[in-house]
Amino acid sequence: MSTPDPKNMKQDCSNKRECLEMLQLILDGEATAEQKEHFLKEHLEECMPCYKNYHLEVAIRQLLKTKCCHEAPQQLVDDIKTKVIQNLSRS
Amino acid sequence: MEEFEETPRQHYTEAQKNSIFNNEFMPHINSMYNFAYRLTLDGDDAKDLLQDTYLKAYRFIESFQQGTNAKAWLFRILKNSFINDYRKKSKEPSKVDYQDVETYYNSEDVDRQITPDLRVEALKDMIGDEISNALNSLDVDFKTVIILCDLEGFKYEEMAKILDIPIGTVRSRLHRARNLLKEKLSTYAKQMGYKNA
Repeated sequence: MSTPDPKNMKQDCSNKRECLEMLQLILDGEATAEQKEHFLKEHLEECMPCYKNYHLEVAIRQLLKTKCCHEAPQQLVDDIKTKVIQNLSRS
Repeated sequence: MEEFEETPRQHYTEAQKNSIFNNEFMPHINSMYNFAYRLTLDGDDAKDLLQDTYLKAYRFIESFQQGTNAKAWLFRILKNSFINDYRKKSKEPSKVDYQDVETYYNSEDVDRQITPDLRVEALKDMIGDEISNALNSLDVDFKTVIILCDLEGFKYEEMAKILDIPIGTVRSRLHRARNLLKEKLSTYAKQMGYKNA
C-alpha cells in the first residue's frame, strides 16, 4: 500500500462501523479478493479515519503477538509426557 | 462429552497413538498453556487445566481423526474443560451471566458509546504489561475470541467449531471484543499522558 497524501483524503467517514468490520475481515484473512481489492484501493487510501484505523488494527495485533504469548514451563511439559506414559503402561 | 462423539471412532495401535500424541498434540503445548493461563489467570490452575486437557486428549485419542486440525481439536477440549471444571472456581472477576453480556454488547448503543480514539503512537509506548492486562481484564468470552483469532490465527470457521457458535456470532463477538480491548488501551494511554488517546 502506498502512502497516501493526507491533503487529498476525506477527514470523515460516513461508514465507519461497516468499514471497520471490513478492515477486520481483511486483516483476519476472511475477505474475498474482490472485497479486499475494492476496500484497499477504492476506500482506504482516500479516507483518513479508515487509514488510521488500519494502522491501529495492525499495531494492536503486533502488540498482542509480542506481549501476550507465554511458553509452557518445561517442568510441566515433562510432567505431562510422563503422566501419559504412565497411563499407557496401565492400559 | 459431546466433543468426542462427533467423529466415528478411529482405531489406532499403541505406536500410532504415541506418534499422534507426540507429533500432533505436543507441538501445540505452548499455545495451549497460554490459552489456559489467560482463561484461569492463575499459574496453578493453568497447569492443572493443561494437564487435564492433555490426559483427556490421550484418553479420547480415537475420537481424533488423523489429518484433521489437531490444534483446533485440542483447543476445543481445553475450552470445554475450562467451562465445566474451572470457570466456577477461577479467579475470573466478572460473575456476570454470559447471556446478559452478549445481549448488552449486541445492542446498537454500545457502538455509539465505544468510539475509542486510540493512536498508534500511544501503543508504541506500551512496552510493559498494558496489553496483557487489558486482554486479561476482558470477559472470558471476549478474551477467548481475541486469543483464538489474533494470537493463534484460527479461521472464523475453526473458531465456530471450537466455541460451538455460528460464524456470524464469531464475527460480531470479535468486533465487540476488539472495541472493548481498544477502550481499555485507550484508558491506559490517557493514564500515560496521551490526550485524546
